[in-house]
Amino acid sequence: MKALQRSRIGQWPVNLAKRPLRAVLFLLILIFFIMPIARLVYMAFSGESGLTFIHFKDLLAQPRTWIVLKNTMIVVGGSTLIASAIGMLLAWLMAYTDLRGKKLMLFLLYLPLIIPSYISTLAWTQFLGPEGLFEKMTSWLPFAVGPFNLYSMTGIVLVMGISHYPLVYLLTVNVFKKIPRDMEQAARCAGASRRKAFVKIVLPLAFPGIVGGGFLAFLASLDNFGIPAFLGIPARISVLSTYIYEQVIGFGASAFSKAAVLSVLLGIIALAGAGIQWLFLRRAKQAETAIIDHEPRYFLGRMRLPVECLLWLFFTITSIVPLIAMVMTSLLPAYGVAFSWDNLTLKNYAFILETSPKAKQAMFNSLKLALVTTGTGMVIGTLFAYLRVRRPNRLLKTAEGAISLPYALPGTVLALGMIFTWMEPVPGWNPGLYGSILIMFIAYMTRFLILQVRGSVTAFMQVDESMEEAARVSGTNGLAKWRKILVPLILPGLISGALLVFLTALTELTVSSMLWSAKTETIGVVILNFENAGSTAYSTAFSSLIVGCILIGGILMLILQFLWKRKVARHS
Amino acid sequence: MTTAIRNVNKTFGSFQALHDINLDIGEKEFVAILGPSGCGKTTLLRILAGFEKPTSGLIHMDGTEVANAKKTLPPEKRNLGMVFQSFALWPHLNVRQHIEFPLKHHPAASETLRQNIGKRTDDVLQIVNLEPFADRQPGELSGGQKQRVALARAIASEPSLLLMDEPLSSLDAELRMGMRQEIERLHMLTDASIVYVTHDQNEALAMADRIVVMNRGRIEQVGPPEEIYAKPRTPFVAAFVGKANLIKGRWQNGMFRPNLAPYLQWPDHDIADELKEQGLYTLRPEQISITNELDLGLKGTVQSVQFQGKEMHYAVDCRGESFVIHTPLSSRFAIGAEVALRPDLPGLSAKQSESMEPGVQHMVYL
Repeated sequence: MKALQRSRIGQWPVNLAKRPLRAVLFLLILIFFIMPIARLVYMAFSGESGLTFIHFKDLLAQPRTWIVLKNTMIVVGGSTLIASAIGMLLAWLMAYTDLRGKKLMLFLLYLPLIIPSYISTLAWTQFLGPEGLFEKMTSWLPFAVGPFNLYSMTGIVLVMGISHYPLVYLLTVNVFKKIPRDMEQAARCAGASRRKAFVKIVLPLAFPGIVGGGFLAFLASLDNFGIPAFLGIPARISVLSTYIYEQVIGFGASAFSKAAVLSVLLGIIALAGAGIQWLFLRRAKQAETAIIDHEPRYFLGRMRLPVECLLWLFFTITSIVPLIAMVMTSLLPAYGVAFSWDNLTLKNYAFILETSPKAKQAMFNSLKLALVTTGTGMVIGTLFAYLRVRRPNRLLKTAEGAISLPYALPGTVLALGMIFTWMEPVPGWNPGLYGSILIMFIAYMTRFLILQVRGSVTAFMQVDESMEEAARVSGTNGLAKWRKILVPLILPGLISGALLVFLTALTELTVSSMLWSAKTETIGVVILNFENAGSTAYSTAFSSLIVGCILIGGILMLILQFLWKRKVARHS
Repeated sequence: MTTAIRNVNKTFGSFQALHDINLDIGEKEFVAILGPSGCGKTTLLRILAGFEKPTSGLIHMDGTEVANAKKTLPPEKRNLGMVFQSFALWPHLNVRQHIEFPLKHHPAASETLRQNIGKRTDDVLQIVNLEPFADRQPGELSGGQKQRVALARAIASEPSLLLMDEPLSSLDAELRMGMRQEIERLHMLTDASIVYVTHDQNEALAMADRIVVMNRGRIEQVGPPEEIYAKPRTPFVAAFVGKANLIKGRWQNGMFRPNLAPYLQWPDHDIADELKEQGLYTLRPEQISITNELDLGLKGTVQSVQFQGKEMHYAVDCRGESFVIHTPLSSRFAIGAEVALRPDLPGLSAKQSESMEPGVQHMVYL
């Protein structure tokens, strides 16, 4: 009945004139979310005499462009394959088998998601590099393993694959769990072997999740800037995201239009990926139940212990040991000094916290940006989510699509769009946003708002409408309803959304690397600059500090969550 | 409070949920709105609450217009309490806080109540027998206790209209019976009129002063429970409330001749004129007896036999039409048995014989 009622919202442009609030919302969405992309595309096609393909022609005539495109394909393809393979295998194991200690494994599994990828990259270089921890750990072997040169295509593909497998895991694990176990049992009763039942029943049903996870890894690889920036730039290997950055930073002739064309190319590749995903999913069927079944279905038996050992080894090596290697480097007075008690020093940390004005300024900037983005996001995103859940209509659905666009786009592309839009919002008027911290704030707001919207939408969906109606019948539809009923009920979802925004904004690198100026460096930018200047001791110390803060924050969060759950005994 | 519903229509898109509803609810009256799911009863309740707007028509409460097609007074400004089907308890507040909430926030709560929130909360806790559970969270309560909290919250601010949306449907059968008494007691204790929506005819019959039977967005019949049960005016009410068998035939000189066996004559047991005009006769399952003297009634074959403890339930097929019959345990017939059905209307034969001409009487049960 409600769906029918809502279908009467047609001809919304006409309605807009009648409802000023909607008109304002529509306008804001247009300015903040659509404009940057429109300006970027316009930039790529505009020449001295109207629209032109000349920039494309020029660019595609350069052999360097083709090398960059080829590199991008290899990096994106390779890392997506690695991430998908590891992610799916782990998802299957965690969803279906009787492994022990799954909770702790999950924590280690999610660690690469929480730690910004440029910090994990730094950690990996310290772990696998010459004189690194890995070399020492394997020195007892009769043959030499490594050292590996991570500053190479292989290095980029490997680190990116390992950074992105949790994304694939995240999307596939519940798909596996949601497949009703009796579907497989029915196949077994109908005479299929375990293998056949898996191939014929489970796999096709899990297919949408697998493709979705793979697509997410694809997008993340395309978007990723930190890994190719840390590993590729020193080795003169460019992929699209770093190549755009190099153009903008280089400020050469026609740098902006060249960067715009590259961004459009990047956008086209992302769209092509979406098209392939659509082709795959067109005929896919979903299982009808949505109940998540956490109980194990396969018992590993004698294989359990070996499998568990292998998994622990994998998690420790990929999630923890590189970080330890990084912390070890940060405690040494200079790069290459042997690690021993006598050599340990805290002077790198002292430099970051005391001496270096840049590091302090960056911490202040990042914290300010993250706090303001999170705060405004919490209010705007939650109000938007409320409307989206309680009064869904076409305008809000379109608006949600528009809000999610800047997050789906590669960060370099968005940053470029921001420059084009806010350098001269109206021709002839430069409000001085570009170069100030304000443009970064606008960019963060645009890029991360969707994270808060999603968190709050999930939270509101879990609050039955009757909760709110009960408050209204009890006499309040205003502040008291929000303060006493709605906010406490959505708080867990609200906070987890806000925390994600805060964490992402705090350690953001891609957008700020394009928008920073002398006084507006962020944590990510400063670490990148330390690293590019060869000050590995400082970059590792700064990164270790950040990782420490994230871990402490995470533990505090878990404690809060635990207390909350105890307070609200599960509402059955 | 008196409530008047005048010509209310409600459409959702192309679907008309309510057709021309007219109803008056009196001071302190307990009105049950009874109907199958999708009949519009919940929509009507939500319009009374102020959650939905009527597409056309008016709602008056105590003489003031609270809703028309253009403007509607929101729920928080109407003086009412509501019990939701899902209870709608707030998981983060304890029982006491639930009761205090309307006392603190309802604009219609009287000044006396506002100044004595603690005392009123204690009183309400006592009314619903929840004193020992005042500090519990909803997650720590049983189904019946949750129901009491929902009731307590609804009555706390002494609203003059109490709306209940299938309040017992999420409880098990045993608890439902107990809660019925609870709600009746509550009705005695408060001065509120109650509108109670349900699809369970037993609940409506047991508690209401008046029942409104709804079907497909229309009111079928309004009346006291006895009348709705004993003298249905539409085939739907007969079938839905009394589970009556509807028999087609002809009315002649105050007697009914079923089409299946026109040679039989059945007496009028106060059947409504509306049904008579449609050539219908009703027999509730307990108003039929089964006999193996085939000449005495409507011939048929036993299709199913169900032992129900205090009675037997039969389904009998009479030339393609199925009859549901409840009989005392004493009579037992097997599946496939050839039997005859005849009205079993205790208390009627005496009345009948007075009004009948001599000589016709022997045909009455043939």
